Amino acid sequence: MQIFLIILGVVALIAILIYNSLIGKKNQVENIFAGVDAVLKKRYDLIPNLVASVSQYMEHEKSTLEKVTEYRAQAMKPGISNDQKIALDAKLTSALGAINIAMEAYPDLKANENVMHLQRSLNEIEEQISAARRAYNQAVTDLNNAIEMFPTNIVAGWMNLQRRAVFEITVTERQNVDVNALFNR
Amino acid sequence: MKSTSELTDFYYKELYPSINELEETRKQIISQLKFYGGMGIVAFALAVLWMGKNFGLLHPLMIGIVIGFIAIASITYRFMTNGYAKDFKAKIITPLIHAIDPHLLYNPDFMISQHLFERSDLFKHSIDRYSGNDYVKGSIDGVPLEFSDVHAEYQTKNSKGNSEWHTLFRGLFLVAEFNKHFKAKTVILPDLAEKTFGNLIGGWLQSMNMSRGKVIQLDDPLFEKHFVVYGNDPIEARYILSHSMMKRIVDFQKKISHPLFISFVHNHIHVGIGTGKDLFEPAVFTSLLDYKQAMEYVNTLQNTIGLVEELKLNEKLWSKV
Repeated sequence: MQIFLIILGVVALIAILIYNSLIGKKNQVENIFAGVDAVLKKRYDLIPNLVASVSQYMEHEKSTLEKVTEYRAQAMKPGISNDQKIALDAKLTSALGAINIAMEAYPDLKANENVMHLQRSLNEIEEQISAARRAYNQAVTDLNNAIEMFPTNIVAGWMNLQRRAVFEITVTERQNVDVNALFNR
Repeated sequence: MKSTSELTDFYYKELYPSINELEETRKQIISQLKFYGGMGIVAFALAVLWMGKNFGLLHPLMIGIVIGFIAIASITYRFMTNGYAKDFKAKIITPLIHAIDPHLLYNPDFMISQHLFERSDLFKHSIDRYSGNDYVKGSIDGVPLEFSDVHAEYQTKNSKGNSEWHTLFRGLFLVAEFNKHFKAKTVILPDLAEKTFGNLIGGWLQSMNMSRGKVIQLDDPLFEKHFVVYGNDPIEARYILSHSMMKRIVDFQKKISHPLFISFVHNHIHVGIGTGKDLFEPAVFTSLLDYKQAMEYVNTLQNTIGLVEELKLNEKLWSKV
């Protein structure tokens, strides 16, 4: 009888420890996502400025600029889920990247002090976003591992924890820049 | 900045007259040392013989005699090489540093302040004795930096009540301005636990280190193999340790082959290279013309000052002007 009680006690203790570690991991993910959100917001704040300053120069990129504005509006909507934010961020990053490359073709833009300043700020924020993304991905990987690995997966099942999505590098970021296409425009 | 081969050329060509002069002094010192050493050995043998005849070889006074002779020998050695060491620093090390950059300040007797050393947060133990020398201060490519030899020690009492000194850190310590703004503290230490105990147990031991902040797992396996990172802000730690920065730190570690301690505190990077010895000291028993010896002086300077370029601290992010 006593042995049974001891075993029961040990099992309960382990279950509590696992439960607490899972809660800790889940909160870490949310905590870091708040950090990601903060830097993403910083970028959203800069976008209207950037679009307003470059749109008069960049006639050919009108559609890209419109897309950027649209993504920003979507991302700023209240009540969208984290996964949606992650997806929008990927689109926004690739669209901004395209603008960045296209700007090379406009010497007037490069001479514009205001635009250059905006671009510097964007580059800086891009670095911060990249850091926040990496931190988030690590926290999510920790949580996802715990959800799938034995024996934490049993407790995670009871708690009804779901796997989270990580930030992925967008396809356009992975592709090398096609220098030829840039010159032949 | 000059390359290693240019500096080696400078050492052998421009400094040749001074080296020759010092080389003469060095030879004189060695012959004097041999003379006094011989006398010392004879005196020691006589003392031992006398002791053996009158009191027996195992008499407690024997210990006193041995210690006394060692003390006299080390004081004589210090006294005889002191002037030579001073000359060496004035005639060799100073021009060598100025050849790298004429605006660098060099003071052989000064050291990096204990405040900066403690601010780095690299070593948690309290310091009871702090010393150092060969202080260099200036800016390289617009990056303010300072470094010096540092020897930090702490004291403990053993079971008999005698005090013992332990070295906390001995080697080169450098502080430079970092090119990114940050608020949190990030500390990079050599990964001893993971190397000794493997991934699983080592990782667990690291996370158990209560005196440090949280372990930050980074996404560069090679970097993770060499180092463990503690910090209180996981996002900022990754902002500082970008992929390229981690690669540069690993490359630097491969180059120096001494334990490397790096911390980012207060918008500055603090680097400790645990060489375990006093650098920039003249070798009395090897020739100054010896290639290996010359390369050691040149390489140490080159690696330390070159850290600015190596870690690209001079590449200012656009927002920090």
